[in-house]
Amino acid sequence: MLFTLLRKEFVLEFRQRYAISGIVLYVFSMVFVVYAASIKVQPQVWNVLFWLIILFASINAVVKSFVQESGARQLYYYQLADPAMLLLAKIIYNTLLLLVLSLLAFGAYSVVAGNPVKDIGLFALILLLGSLGFSIAFTFIASIAAKANNSATLMAILSFPVIMPILLTLVRLSAIALRLIQDTSYQRDIVNLLAIDAILITLTFVLFPFVWRD
Amino acid sequence: MKFFKARIFFTIILFLAISLPTVLAQGNRDYMRETGKINVVIGVIVLIFIGIVTYVLRLDRKLTKLEHQLKDDKNGWTN
Amino acid sequence: MWWKALSVVLIVYSLIAGTLVPLKPGITYVSPQTARSGQQLVLQLHGYNSFYAQSPANDIRVWLQYDSAQALTGQQIRVLNDTTLEASFLIPTELPRPTASVMLNAIIDHPADGVSLLPSAIEIVKDSIASQANWSGSNISGLHVKKDFSFPYRNVIYESIRNTYFHVPMWFVLMFLFIASAWNSVQFLRFSNPAQAAALDEQKGRSLLDFDRKAAAYAEAGLLFGILGLITGMLWAHYAWGAAWSNDIKQLMTAVALLIYLAYFILRSSFDEPEKGARLAAVYNIFAFASLIPLLYIVPRMFASLHPGATGNPAFGSEDLDNTMRMVFYPAIIGWSLFGFWLAQLRYRYQRLLDKATGLD
Repeated sequence: MLFTLLRKEFVLEFRQRYAISGIVLYVFSMVFVVYAASIKVQPQVWNVLFWLIILFASINAVVKSFVQESGARQLYYYQLADPAMLLLAKIIYNTLLLLVLSLLAFGAYSVVAGNPVKDIGLFALILLLGSLGFSIAFTFIASIAAKANNSATLMAILSFPVIMPILLTLVRLSAIALRLIQDTSYQRDIVNLLAIDAILITLTFVLFPFVWRD
Repeated sequence: MKFFKARIFFTIILFLAISLPTVLAQGNRDYMRETGKINVVIGVIVLIFIGIVTYVLRLDRKLTKLEHQLKDDKNGWTN
Repeated sequence: MWWKALSVVLIVYSLIAGTLVPLKPGITYVSPQTARSGQQLVLQLHGYNSFYAQSPANDIRVWLQYDSAQALTGQQIRVLNDTTLEASFLIPTELPRPTASVMLNAIIDHPADGVSLLPSAIEIVKDSIASQANWSGSNISGLHVKKDFSFPYRNVIYESIRNTYFHVPMWFVLMFLFIASAWNSVQFLRFSNPAQAAALDEQKGRSLLDFDRKAAAYAEAGLLFGILGLITGMLWAHYAWGAAWSNDIKQLMTAVALLIYLAYFILRSSFDEPEKGARLAAVYNIFAFASLIPLLYIVPRMFASLHPGATGNPAFGSEDLDNTMRMVFYPAIIGWSLFGFWLAQLRYRYQRLLDKATGLD
């Protein structure tokens, strides 16, 4: 069941290629703006700007996951499949999407602004954990925001405070990967991040039944 | 609550809150740092008082509006 | 009704006791602030809230302390007036550490005022750094303790230590109100399925939307106290830490909490059907409140806190709060919390009346 739902997401994305191309173009434009606006990017600035780009691209990529299909079709899905499964499929799909997006952004960004990352393995792990955390929080917030009329603005307002703990930990971890700060006990930050993800995903499944029904 | 325009009042308070510390720090005397910084305590108490009074005034105005509404159409009560 | 009276009594008590109880004596500064080794130094010590003239000069003892074992004892102590004391020191040619200068703490022991200390009061400089000497031999013991109802003296913050009773309770009220708000959101969702809602209706006069109104009223009052805590904190920080904003965990958490509840109100007002808006707002309230908790564990690893109890713990350590302060601090917290709930309840009652009048309920 989960696999079918996941395939549905991929097929849907493939049919509406303009949406995904729009996001990719968005990422490239932002990277280019950073390149055009600053001559030489210091590692500290590189770190902050990179996560800002990822943050905004992620919000824009996830916001459409519940808006792109009509309410009637959504209701049809909820009757066919378990709503929790549907949400899980969307979270997994968005995680993959955000991972691809952040890798693309990282590639483009290192071409135009240089690549100060010293610990590539840790950085890849951070990107994966970041995609997971962003995907859980944003998918759930998108499901709330989709119920309102002005969902794009609402999405940004609702998700910024919620994403704060994840974002702060990610910026700190990636500063370690860039060797901007020395910290041998960064495993605790990774555990923190996983714990936040666990809290958020538990809450998501407890609360989602109250969101989808109208 | 017609005796002053709330918005003008808030603007003045905000303006005072921002400008007073700079004005007081002018010259050789710093009033906020004199006598063991006791004026900081007075400032904190005054700010809390202003905040709560503002909140209560807003509630008061809302209640007045509701009263007028009820006077205008008595059929508004469904219970 | 009794708790409203209690809140007023406690707040008035904390206002009176918090502003009128005097501070313990302390040392504001000494002059001169630097001296050379081997010099006969005549040091003037300036007290705060002190009554030096109340005791004969030979009962007063003065030290310049290097560490817990090494100190210099002051000779020929003269009382100039209640807040000025003069003592002479013969500073040895060798310092206790082989460096060009050392910082010494000033300690005064007074029979009536008790003991007072100024850390790093005076700097002793020396030309050569070749050798060192042991300064032991002066015995700091038998200190007097001032036993009356007074607040501790702290350098830099001085009288503004009293803000503990006015600024800090705002943070506690904010926490209690936000917990109450989240709890009411949980209750709303628990009773929101049709079977439960019918059971609720049978209890007299309670409707499902009451939980939503309560959640919103508590959140609004919490927002008020959050803003007050932030503003008063910024004023205090400007004069105690030198900057109004310094990325402190408590400042950051309050700011994030305020953002969450502002977003909550925007979400709540962006639906036409009240039941739908209430349901989604309740879901967001719980989700956002839970995501606020990890900040308590994460941020201390990133930002050093200037607040006491720096590890993200909202309580104070025993060295930050003595028994005298507790006698004002705890009543202040209880009083302000009850007052916050009172305000929230007024807001809730207004909202219920309004909804009745407009036929929403």
